[in-house]
Amino acid sequence: MEARPVVHWQALVRDPDRAASFYAACFGWNADDRNALGYRAIGAAGDGIGGGLWPLSDGSPMVQLFVAVPDVDAALATAQTNGAQVVIPKQVLPDGDEMAVILDPEGIAWGLMLARG
Amino acid sequence: MLRDEFERRRRSNPRYSLRAFALLLGIDSATLSQVLRGRRRLSPRATAALCDRLALPQPQRDAVICEALRAGHERRILRQVGRDGFTASSRALARRLRLRTDEINAALVRLLRERKLRMLSPARWVALAPEQR
Repeated sequence: MEARPVVHWQALVRDPDRAASFYAACFGWNADDRNALGYRAIGAAGDGIGGGLWPLSDGSPMVQLFVAVPDVDAALATAQTNGAQVVIPKQVLPDGDEMAVILDPEGIAWGLMLARG
Repeated sequence: MLRDEFERRRRSNPRYSLRAFALLLGIDSATLSQVLRGRRRLSPRATAALCDRLALPQPQRDAVICEALRAGHERRILRQVGRDGFTASSRALARRLRLRTDEINAALVRLLRERKLRMLSPARWVALAPEQR
């Protein structure tokens, strides 16, 4: 199988405004939330990858990584066959991107995404 | 929370009745019965009043009320999703429901995780019935 790249990070945080201020001050990351979801997108800097902030719904704050896949349904099926659980089934976001979240056999949550927007 | 508390009381006193629990909570036993069977939901305000009646410790009280508020947000979002003219947008939902966009987004994650909502296309979200989840 062709290696899939990690293309996006997402910090799940208790207070997105506070987190955005912190990251802007410490890392120069400026969040832009002018989109339908109000997603605080943070563009890639230098050779790095872009990310974003999302309000934590429950549990502990964490950073989640997103792997680009050519077909989210197929990637979900492969992940399940290999022991992963589907946390969030495939969704089509307002910008057209497709995403899903799995929990791998080690208990790590990974996002799967297909950028279309 | 109420079901757990009722069961706890019944374990320590097998004769403890639904009527006695209703009396303690200050609500009628028919209503309490519906709530315990999941047929009726309490508003966050009513939940707070019951927490006071039960003299729950502050952290537990806060958690229970928070959960009631979040469940209320989720129900309101699902109701909006099913309406004509619904716009698939957290911002639009926040304006309509007078909530913060972050409150909407935190609720959306829970709804997606629990298979209560599906984003089928950029413009189409659907609320899923229990048998569709």
